[in-house]
Amino acid sequence: MDKPDPSRNIKTRTKKESLSKEEHQKQLEFQKEAVVHLNSLYNYALHLTMNPDDAEDLVQETYLKAYRFFNSFERGTNCKAWLFKILKNNYINRFHKNSKEPGKVDYDLIKDFYHSIKDVQNDTSEAESDYFHSLLHEEVYQALQSLPEEFREVIQLCDIEGFTYEEIANMVESPIGTVRSRLYRGRKLLREQLEEYAKKYGFNTDKDQ
Amino acid sequence: MTMKCQNARILMSAAVDGELSLKEEHDFFMHLSKCIECKNEFEDAKKTKMIVKERIVQFKAPQSLINSIMELTSVSNIEYEDTLLHE
Repeated sequence: MDKPDPSRNIKTRTKKESLSKEEHQKQLEFQKEAVVHLNSLYNYALHLTMNPDDAEDLVQETYLKAYRFFNSFERGTNCKAWLFKILKNNYINRFHKNSKEPGKVDYDLIKDFYHSIKDVQNDTSEAESDYFHSLLHEEVYQALQSLPEEFREVIQLCDIEGFTYEEIANMVESPIGTVRSRLYRGRKLLREQLEEYAKKYGFNTDKDQ
Repeated sequence: MTMKCQNARILMSAAVDGELSLKEEHDFFMHLSKCIECKNEFEDAKKTKMIVKERIVQFKAPQSLINSIMELTSVSNIEYEDTLLHE
């Protein structure tokens, strides 16, 4: 008789195989709690890897792991934060050896990255006169990518993903005070970068509004 | 005791993100009402957050990825696919 092998990839199970009631419950709960965050996780993976194929692998791996260890997810806490942490750990294990120097930006890579993904939201507010509103997402993205990783990371988790400081502190494994100061310094640096772009367009950055 | 600029800066990001305690919030905005420099810095930080929030494009996960995650949880996945697509 085959013994169930916990290390086996869950994906290989066929649909026809009958599931225990417990397993069925787990699946339903997993869908409700975890699968709803698929888009967010994919975007986070894209930002980390800058490569759609790697991002897809990373998300897949994350969900496999999350499903396997779903019992250890603390009910009532933020499942999205839990998933992000798993993804980040996977990312470090897989890609960190090839990580780029902090603060070093490959602008061509970012350009390619944007052009390789067609499903980009349309920009509807081009006509805005405020110079910051004239910035394109590609430029804001470049500015963000130019920040040292420790700053970029907290800005992403806070401003894009909307995590609380406590959740971010847990994810980056630093005290909340560190999260606060990284956000403060990160936003300052980002602001300087954005002003560089604004100058390029000839907007007067001394005069707000 | 009134807050100094240095202390206000420590609280700046948390003020932008609504992460201050009531006491901190009171002291922080008290300081801002008297210090134009910190006030400007606060407004800049708020604006920077808004730009990131509004300008960074969120991509949709490709269908192939959605499908493979669905396979993980293959029971009654049809209604689920719906909620994902309409998210």
